[in-house]
Amino acid sequence: MTPELTVLTLAALLQAVQFALMAIPTNLELGAGKTLSPRDPERLGGSLQDQVSPRTGRLIRAMNNHFEALILFTIAVLVVTLSGQSGPFTTACAWIYLVARVAYVPVYAYGLTPWRSLIWGVGFFATLAMLLAALL
Amino acid sequence: MTEIQILALYGLLVILTLILQATGGLTQLGMGYLLGSRDEERTVSGIAGRLERALNNSVTAMVLFAPAVLLIVVTDSSTNQTLLAAQAFLIARIVYLPSYAFGITGLRSLAWVVGIVATITLYLLAL
Repeated sequence: MTPELTVLTLAALLQAVQFALMAIPTNLELGAGKTLSPRDPERLGGSLQDQVSPRTGRLIRAMNNHFEALILFTIAVLVVTLSGQSGPFTTACAWIYLVARVAYVPVYAYGLTPWRSLIWGVGFFATLAMLLAALL
Repeated sequence: MTEIQILALYGLLVILTLILQATGGLTQLGMGYLLGSRDEERTVSGIAGRLERALNNSVTAMVLFAPAVLLIVVTDSSTNQTLLAAQAFLIARIVYLPSYAFGITGLRSLAWVVGIVATITLYLLAL
């Protein structure tokens, strides 16, 4: 297992944590009756995401954003690993990605402008650097 | 059947979900709207809306499941346990689709939980 694969595993487990951070307040605020239902907006008076508190809404958006980031990061890790190009630089990029994505959650939850965007950029460019390192 | 074949079958299940969702959209919104640039937001309701949410959830489930399977394959760490977890994931997601489409409360959530627990199990086994 390359270090990048270890980080990928940890990033996926982070997503499980982010899921819990989003799901627990959502269920407390809306009740299991709504979340267990088929969530038809026409019957619930809008989507679930529009009915939660601002902070819970941020946690939902933070989770959705990490799903997108994970798609690119998975590609980067597989390209680096399968092409046998794992090295100190790509390992460092992978860890930087993970640290940025962990920091992203509280920074989003507390609405720290512009830190959320900067931290998002760190994760994004770490992923890009891995992809470029595999090409060069 | 190997984990990677299960991933391939899951890919086909997501495609099936996509076809059903598109059919629902076509029925409620019409071909003209779907082919257009969709500048005006129109939403579907009922079973078509549930299929749309099922599709979104299936894609996010794939974002987590695909790396787990690839990890198992790349690190050559397939065992009976990883195979069982992958099979449980696929069966759960097959159950998930109709239980969401027909609004079977409880079963949908149960199937979702089995799927996510199976995925997390794969990651923990890979570590």
